[in-house]
Formats: sequence, structure tokens, C-alpha cells
Amino acid sequence: MPELVRIVERGPVPPGGVLLAGLPDVGLVGVIATTHIISSLGMEEVAYIDSNLLPPIAVLHGGLPHSPLRIFHKDGILAVLSETAIPASAVQPISQSIVDWCKGKEVKMVVSLGGLPTPNRQNIEEVKVFGAASNDEALKALREGSVEILERGFMVGPYALILRYCAEKGINAIALLAQSFFEYPDPEAAAAVVSKVTEMLNLEVDVTELLKKGEEIRLRARDVMRRTQQELARMSKSQEYDLPLYV
Amino acid sequence: MYWERRRRRSIFEIIDEYLEELERASREFMGALLSGRPSWDASERCLEPLTNMHITPDEVVVTVDLPMVKPETIKVRALSDNVLEVSAEMKRTVYFREFGVTHHSGEFCGFKSKTRIPVPVDMRNLTTKFVRGILEIHIPRKARAGVRIPVE
Repeated sequence: MPELVRIVERGPVPPGGVLLAGLPDVGLVGVIATTHIISSLGMEEVAYIDSNLLPPIAVLHGGLPHSPLRIFHKDGILAVLSETAIPASAVQPISQSIVDWCKGKEVKMVVSLGGLPTPNRQNIEEVKVFGAASNDEALKALREGSVEILERGFMVGPYALILRYCAEKGINAIALLAQSFFEYPDPEAAAAVVSKVTEMLNLEVDVTELLKKGEEIRLRARDVMRRTQQELARMSKSQEYDLPLYV
Repeated sequence: MYWERRRRRSIFEIIDEYLEELERASREFMGALLSGRPSWDASERCLEPLTNMHITPDEVVVTVDLPMVKPETIKVRALSDNVLEVSAEMKRTVYFREFGVTHHSGEFCGFKSKTRIPVPVDMRNLTTKFVRGILEIHIPRKARAGVRIPVE
């Protein structure tokens, strides 16, 4: 059977790092947050993800082609970032491949950065960050980081699968999800998850510039958000609003 | 008589009609999202904002993401019974090169969008509010002749 997803390393990837995941989801929170961290820390591309399940896209940077899904690294911190929406049909194999790759690289923690769709987001001044984890050890890390746990409910999308597959493979993983708009880019929510993850990992990343440029980021993120909306609808993302059966 | 005609419809027919209406609205909206045109118009120097619509039994709520606009320039116009136009001027002119794009030339100084409302609404009584850069438009749905079903 042909390989559906390939992770191609362009240079040495040291084992035992922490992987941040910034994949397109509600409010593009993870993408905005991870892009900011990559640029603030000066991370460099070490691998890219190729798949015949992705649209035939090359992202041009300086006139040179790149995969829209790339992995960056600096000082033990890895970051996977997608610059385009991931088709709903590719979410499962790509999530699985990222987790398998993490297992091979002995990644000690996977941190998914994302948004938690909140209907009254417009009225929220101070965005809260919630968390979910793959196992008890990772849950403990969330509690030590003063992150409120999402006790019950549904998660839909790549982060849901990354958590589940990490649980299967015995990898510590957490998802940090800030209250966010469902269908509009949300730089404030991104700043909240950047602040939380950098506090937990002892990284120095300033979010002042991210907040200052919030409106410009919303302007530039329109087209990626538009494409992401289509895929979120296909994967029934609105199920995250559903109340769980609780007997 | 219209009333007599309505009375003969069962509750299941009414529910079916409502669901079909929602499905039709959803298909139309997804169709607009999936269209192949760009989200900008260099000749009109305007960008198309991100827009969403929620249909409830009582109203249609349209939201429009309007970053970098001057709030006092936001205009909401009903072009017809079922088409809403939103426009706004931006605080400053934005150029293609700011998006890193050098193969197009042009500039943008505002947003403009047209939204087709798929169910009958009362455009004269719409209300708006602009919070955190997002315009929210509430349009009441036109009342339909209803039938009260006795509950045993």
C-alpha cells in the first residue's frame, strides 16, 4: 500500500524535544501563535510533510517552493506549522503520522495550540486558556501550569486525534485551547496560548507585538481562515458546542 | 382559503419544510464560500470581509469581520428584500506588497460585501452593533402563518 503521508527531514532533528503543533482550526489560533513563536525564537525548518491527500500546493518564500506543512526547530523546541487549511479527509493520516514521527524522535511532550470556540467571544475581555491531556502525567503538567481542565465535552479535528494517538503511544501531550472566535482569526486568543505555553516551558516570547499587530494579522489571515472554515464545516467542528451525554 | 390549506398540513410536513429551508440556506452559503473568485477587487480597491450567517427561528444574524476600519464609516444597506450590503473604509490604505505579494499591483482602502439572505426577513427592522472589530446585524424573520398543534 502506498505511503499516504511522508515526513521528510532536511537536517538532523535532535531527539527528546518538545513539539508545538500549530494547525489550522477555529480562529486560526494555533497557526497565529506558532508562527509568532517560530519567528520570535528564530526557529529553522528541519522537516516537511508531504502527502497525496493534500492539495497540490507549493508555498513560495523568496521565490522558492516549500511544503505548506513544515516542522521547525531550535534548542530542543520543535514546531509543526501548516500555512494552508488541511482537508478534512487528510486530518486523520496526518495526525497519525505526526504522532508516529514524535514517537521515533522520542518527543517528551506534544503541545497543541488552539482555540476553544466560544459563542459570546465578542464580550470576553480577558481570554481564558483551557487544557486537555493524553495521560495523568500530562494532566498534572496542566494543573501545575494553572490551566483549567476541560473535564467533559467533545474535541473535533487534528488536536483531538493527536491527543488520542499520543495516549495510545504513551506520549505526554496537552492541548492548550484559548476561548476564541469560531470563524474569525483571533490574535488575542493566540497571544493567550503563547503566554501560557511559554510560561510552562520557560521560553521567552513577548506577545506585545502580536497584540499590537492584531488587526493587521486579522486582515492577512482572511483567506486561510476562509479555506479553514470550509474544512471545519466538513469535519463537523460545531460538535464542540454539543453537550455531552452525562448519566 | 389560505387558512384552510395550511390547516391540512401535518406537523411533519411543517418540520420537513423548515429543515429543507435550513439545508438550502446552508448549501447556498457553502457554495458562496467555495466560489473561485478572489477575496479582493483591485478595480474597486476593496477587500471582501469574512462573513457568517446564523438562522434562528426568529431572526437571521449576519456577522462581518472588519479589522482596521473606521467605525464611523460602516454602512449597512438593504439592496432588496433579501440582499444586504456592508461597506466600510479602512484606517489606512493597504497595499498588495504588505501581504508579500509582488506579482499583483494595487491598493485597498475599504471592505465591501453583499450577503443574500435565504429566508424571508424584515430588512426595515434590522439592528446592528460593532464590537471588537466585528459587525453584528440582527434581522427579524418575517412571521409565517403558524398552526397551533394541540398537545395531548
